Amino acid sequence: MKKVLSIILALTLTVLCFAACGKTDDAAGNDANSDFLVGAIYINSQNDTAGYTYAHHNGITTAMKQLGMDTAKQLKIVDNIPEDTEQVSKAIDTLAGQGCKIIFGISFGYIDAFAEAAEKPEYKDIIFSHATGYKSNDVNFNNYFGRIYQARYLAGIAAGLKSLKLQNNNLGYVAAWGTEYAETCSGINAFALGAQSVNPKAVVHVNKISTWGDEAKEKAAAETLINTYNCCVIAQHCDSAQPQLAAANGKVFGCGYNSDMTAQAPTSHLTAPIWHWDVYYKLAIETAMNDPAHFMEKVGIYYGGLKEGFVDISPLSENCEPETAGIVEKVKTMMVNGEWDVFTNVKLSIDANGNITKNTEAMKDNKGADVISADGNTYFAYNTETGALEAVDGGKDACDGVIKGSMNYYVAGVVEG
Amino acid sequence: MNKAKDPFVRVVKRDKMHPLLMVAFYCIAILAALLVGAVLLISLGVNPLVLYKDMFTIGMIGSRFAYKSIEGLLTVFTPLLITSLALSLAFKMRFWNIGGEGQFIMGALAAATVALRLGGRMPSLPLLLLMFLAAMLCAGVYGGVVALLNVRFRTNETLMTLMLNYVALYLLHFVGETQAPWNFYLSSESVRPVFQKLPKAAFMPTIPIGKFSLNISFLFAVAICVGIYFYIKKTKQGYEISVVGDSVSTARYAGMRVNRIIVRTMFLSAALVGLAGGFYVSGAQALSTSITNNVGWTGVIVAWLSKLNTFAIFGVSLLISIMQYGCQVASTQFPIIDSNFADLLQGVILFFVLAADFFIRFKLVFRKSAKQQKGEEA
Repeated sequence: MKKVLSIILALTLTVLCFAACGKTDDAAGNDANSDFLVGAIYINSQNDTAGYTYAHHNGITTAMKQLGMDTAKQLKIVDNIPEDTEQVSKAIDTLAGQGCKIIFGISFGYIDAFAEAAEKPEYKDIIFSHATGYKSNDVNFNNYFGRIYQARYLAGIAAGLKSLKLQNNNLGYVAAWGTEYAETCSGINAFALGAQSVNPKAVVHVNKISTWGDEAKEKAAAETLINTYNCCVIAQHCDSAQPQLAAANGKVFGCGYNSDMTAQAPTSHLTAPIWHWDVYYKLAIETAMNDPAHFMEKVGIYYGGLKEGFVDISPLSENCEPETAGIVEKVKTMMVNGEWDVFTNVKLSIDANGNITKNTEAMKDNKGADVISADGNTYFAYNTETGALEAVDGGKDACDGVIKGSMNYYVAGVVEG
Repeated sequence: MNKAKDPFVRVVKRDKMHPLLMVAFYCIAILAALLVGAVLLISLGVNPLVLYKDMFTIGMIGSRFAYKSIEGLLTVFTPLLITSLALSLAFKMRFWNIGGEGQFIMGALAAATVALRLGGRMPSLPLLLLMFLAAMLCAGVYGGVVALLNVRFRTNETLMTLMLNYVALYLLHFVGETQAPWNFYLSSESVRPVFQKLPKAAFMPTIPIGKFSLNISFLFAVAICVGIYFYIKKTKQGYEISVVGDSVSTARYAGMRVNRIIVRTMFLSAALVGLAGGFYVSGAQALSTSITNNVGWTGVIVAWLSKLNTFAIFGVSLLISIMQYGCQVASTQFPIIDSNFADLLQGVILFFVLAADFFIRFKLVFRKSAKQQKGEEA
């Protein structure tokens, strides 16, 4: 009896298998680009429904759909790959073996594996594209990131206007890291500068959790900011929506990150700096597909901002002050036109009617030292070994390098804790 | 008279089973697990034949660089094999070394320290030897201390080795994330903390066979496998281990110095795990905070599934490596499958093999119906 049962079961399975086989074979298209394969290596699961990996996965699939590609067939993913060069190299080998012509790696620690793979002669016809990194070559290896600080400045304006209304100058910021990483540091500074443009007395209290994602710590950090520092708006640079939930519970306001967190905290969320990763992925995949030989000229080291639509803020919620929309729009236009940018020697001062005054002055850090000279031609950063403030090579052109790599100070009006 | 108390089913110990039949039992268990996996896959709309095909051929069919699949498999297989073998030594003595993770990390850290400090100053061969010696010593002491505390103060080795895993892991995180002038582990060119690449002299040599390059550590792993077989079967020390494992009092009665045997064996077990860590870091050419790939845990499973049999360990760790690596490759074909499926399947296999194990040692005897009993009496 048992034998009969198991034979029946085995047969059923076999039939089902072949049935499924037949299905998958039919759908092959004939488009010229239908055999172009895109590879991606993720730090978390491709089935995530929120967070960093989700944002990238969503970006890649959106871009591929816009390009008329079939993500089920043309996108090959290896996920849950930790930042271990050996494991990343294996994942690259797998994707290369399957014939992917462009391979994206989304986590910073993939950097060496990507740099090495790009140099291998057998991979010369594959383009390697690494998010958040700083390495590249002239032929088939680039890195990409965005001017999220521009969006944070706009969120800062929304928060600053709220603090004016509430007559409470304390703003809170739950940060994964502080001055250790230029990425978090420039974000905090941009938010503070945005808030100060409308409320010069605004103070940003940074509570650092020393990890990119830990929901319990994110929540606790936000609660401390609300209860101990009396913060009226909670901004964040960390993975989950916990700080926004804490803000809602504490009856204060908040600015999320990565996605429109009004969904999680409808009564308290103002706006969130968000990424449109699909903007980059579309450009990169399209170029790799049609003109791979000129990838580095056409895409190169990518650092898109509001202008390219690569970063933005989520739609202002009803919790924002009524004048927010007008002011944000004006400042955004200035950045899109290239008329003004955050980390320069020009500081914006915006009055209650939305009139913008540009003041040319040195940017000072919270110890009172000049970090951008008054003429705007010299950028400074602290030497990590000696602790001395030193000019960064490159004069005015050092700006992007400082924002991406060497910024390690807080601007005036930012306090840790 | 006893009829009322007779349970419906009783567990009865079997007589010794024929080894071939035993193997058949295990094969059936694995097949049953794959069948359960297939049902799950079908329910997800995935064709199990395609997935299993890619998985067990580790994606070599249709790959542009099929030889790289073997290279990739060996990077998973080698550390798992050595670690499982090493753990089986301690397990044989009924000493529960579940500190493989920590010992692996300490070995890798020690090897990396030697490589980074002495890198530019000596040729490759002595540097590699020093690295592996440091790895074995460091991990051996890390594990040996637990054995010492156990024989001196009767501390619980399971808890101790378990906790020391976390000490090692967070030590690794600490050196991996703390930027400071003293921290030579980190790359000086990156603003974010990233482990520095080892100097060239510290790379594990490879033997090119056509396009394929064979990492020498795999040959060492095979040698260790054979070595351990002879150590356990043919040497006095190996015999002592199994006597201590069977009964400490017997060993004492026979005049064996049990404490010494425990400390020595645990040192050896941990040192070999550390060697696996040293091999890995030398092959990977850099440290990372996820360097172990869970071999310390998977090794426990492998050792158990293999009944601590040295050659079975070779087979089982190969099977699990193929599943882990192959599943990663196969999962690229199906958006809904991620590498977690390998873990799931591994769990199901473990479950079925344990069940098979039970039925190899015991059989179920059902209560005889009245009719049958009557027949017997007659």
